[in-house]
Amino acid sequence: MKVEILIYAYLAVCAAMTGFNIACIFLFRRNDRKLYERCGDYADVIRKQMHKDAIDEAHRSFLLKSLVHVKGLLAFERSLDILNREDSAALERYLGQLVPVFARLTLEYSRKNEVQAAYFPYLISRYGFFKGQDIPSINDVLFALLHSSGIYSRENALAAFYSIGNAAHVAQALEIVDRSGYYHHKKLITDGLMTFQGDCRELQEMLWARLDVYSVAMQTAILDYLRFSTGAFCERMLGLLSDHYDSEINFCAIRYFGKYRYEPAYPVLLGYLEHEDSARWEYAAIAAFSLAAYPSEQTVRALKAKLNSRSWFVRFNASQSLDKLGMEYVDVVDVFESNDRYAGEMMRYRLEQKKLRERELRHP
Amino acid sequence: MTPGIFNDGAFEFIRAFLIGVEWFFTAYLVCYSTFLFISVIIGSAALYQKRQQEIFKNVLLKDHFIPISIIVPARNEEVTVTETVRSLLALEYPLFEIIVVDDGSVDGTAARLIETFGMQAIRRPVQRKVPCRPAEEIYEANAHGVLLTLIRKKNGGKADALNLGINACRYPYFICMDADSVLQYDSLSRIVKPVLEDENIVAVGGTVRPANNVTLEGGRVSRYRLPRNPLACMQVLEYARSFLASRILFDKFNGSLIISGAFGLFKKDAVVAVGGYDAATVGEDMELVVKLHDYCISNGLPYRMRYATDAICWSQVPEHLKDLCRQRRRWHLGLFQSMWKHRVMLGNPKFGAVSFISCFYYLFYELLSPFIEIFGIAAAVLAALAGLLDLPFMLLFFCAYAGFASVLTMTAFFARTQTIDLKIDPADALKAAVLSVAELTVLRFVLVWVRATAFIGYRKKKLRWDKTERKKIDLK
Repeated sequence: MKVEILIYAYLAVCAAMTGFNIACIFLFRRNDRKLYERCGDYADVIRKQMHKDAIDEAHRSFLLKSLVHVKGLLAFERSLDILNREDSAALERYLGQLVPVFARLTLEYSRKNEVQAAYFPYLISRYGFFKGQDIPSINDVLFALLHSSGIYSRENALAAFYSIGNAAHVAQALEIVDRSGYYHHKKLITDGLMTFQGDCRELQEMLWARLDVYSVAMQTAILDYLRFSTGAFCERMLGLLSDHYDSEINFCAIRYFGKYRYEPAYPVLLGYLEHEDSARWEYAAIAAFSLAAYPSEQTVRALKAKLNSRSWFVRFNASQSLDKLGMEYVDVVDVFESNDRYAGEMMRYRLEQKKLRERELRHP
Repeated sequence: MTPGIFNDGAFEFIRAFLIGVEWFFTAYLVCYSTFLFISVIIGSAALYQKRQQEIFKNVLLKDHFIPISIIVPARNEEVTVTETVRSLLALEYPLFEIIVVDDGSVDGTAARLIETFGMQAIRRPVQRKVPCRPAEEIYEANAHGVLLTLIRKKNGGKADALNLGINACRYPYFICMDADSVLQYDSLSRIVKPVLEDENIVAVGGTVRPANNVTLEGGRVSRYRLPRNPLACMQVLEYARSFLASRILFDKFNGSLIISGAFGLFKKDAVVAVGGYDAATVGEDMELVVKLHDYCISNGLPYRMRYATDAICWSQVPEHLKDLCRQRRRWHLGLFQSMWKHRVMLGNPKFGAVSFISCFYYLFYELLSPFIEIFGIAAAVLAALAGLLDLPFMLLFFCAYAGFASVLTMTAFFARTQTIDLKIDPADALKAAVLSVAELTVLRFVLVWVRATAFIGYRKKKLRWDKTERKKIDLK
């Protein structure tokens, strides 16, 4: 009898789940239809306001009242997409007049659950609501989101800071993320900094000035950003090529000199090449890669010597750099004659690959 | 008076035995049903939560790419291999390479690739990081800015081909996939997301969905219909249930024991550290995942394996029973080999939830389930012979179980389609409802027998690849 009760209980669960499935199908369809209709309504209302010199106060009140609800904000965002395609300049003028509305909404959304709270910073970054403005209440909300355990909240808040374009706030935001203790991939930081909408030079200087404040992981993200964005830090980067710094910092600096040729760094890079057989083989491998930016007979000699390195990566990078330096078979014939199998096979591969590239260029 | 053909003593013994069997099966099925219920609820909730996150842009929006090597092991895949490579070249991802490892094909697999992509022979050194048979020939081409490599080697099995691919690949993360599968246009950017979110990721499993009767245009689904073939259709439902149910639940406590060989991303250093794929196992994909758990926990290394529900790979499922049986036999053997090889994990407190939830689930509800179910049928026959079979109750029990499981299957199917905005045709919804019952009442029992007899002659099949009849996926 007890088993039968259990069976009937499970059958009741079945019925409930079937009901849930059916309800979900209808609910999703209804929500999609409503969102579509509401989006059209917003687009009509905004279109009328967009072409006015100044938007109506009643319109501001309407937006404040309706955008407090996430469904309203979703429809509003979609309508902005449509209007952006129609007349982006007029839309930008229109949005510029809504700063007080968005400032109020930012505060409202900061009180919602984490997923919805992270949505508003996304809109700030997407449409540049507060670009070039310094509104303390908005900054506070965004700074608070950076303490969140959710990566999307932190990432959306950072994106909002990048779009607002205040260098000091970005530097402070990175410090908060760094100290939060939550993992934030350095690639997200580097790529995010590349989207900064303010004075990049100011940001670069500010980040450099505060470099010691950050952890090694954050420092490497910042140094990568500097490598991708400017060659103005050569002199200062040279100072990072010292044993006082973490090896990861040294690697960033070596890579920097692979992108921006800087003569004072050249002897240091050649020196690193000699680390190939020690525990510091990574220095040799990265230096071999960076030396491609320093064409000279000395570089070619040093790289050829490293083609027989015990480390696969040193050999690989040395051959790649020799290839980049334009070496042909006749230039490296001594490598093949040396009977060093490792050196020969690696260089042969590079030369064959070069032929392949040339052939593909001739017959695309 | 003893009904049936047994004397008093035997009858009493059989009655006591059958009471024990009844209790065992009640507990077994209650546990399974509860597990299925919890996992489908948690799985559906996870998918709906993911949908909410997408709607409210709680996603990584920019192209934060991590370079990826895609390894495609192939043997006798001349029908599908060029289309597969073409579909990979159309992926929306900034930096990746493709390595096709031809494991001693006797058809025109290599010739097709060389001709189609204008590949050139090249003497490329390959660093031997994990054991494998050597490369015999290497070809390269630059296809639309993507480095395409073809490596030919002697037949050594899929695991051996994958190991050679690992040795040849140049990026820190690699994806293994089947040569008859197609990745959805955004699958790479979605499968790397967990890597950006968690520094301890060693592997990410993608979602495999049956591609039969699905039309893909530029890696996007342009038409979604259930397969016409009922066998393939039942597999669609089965995939929905198993991917949604156990994989999402196990993902919650880092307990996934399977990342499908059709689509998974791995951290190369971690795989090299455990010695790569085991060429002596037929279920090399499961063995690698179990081995990674074993290695990381035994060495006290922080690690995480994740399941990316939105990274989708479309793959042909068998449309003939013979092919399906062969595939399932291989899967079951692979399961046995992986569990036997890493039996130290079973019931070992050091391995925590991986041991006490994942391993025990796979032991009782996957590995031993065909034997338990055959035992149950035998017990029912014995009860009938002894005149102890309560037929109405048994039918009620069976119908309740079938109804319950088919409703959960439908829930999983709808959750998976609704949350990725696939529109279901009403006729397909009806078809799914009917076939979900058929899958549980007919196909399941066929596969029980197949799995129970999987061990017969398995030593002979060690290095064999599945010889499933290949059909082109509908790509436009």
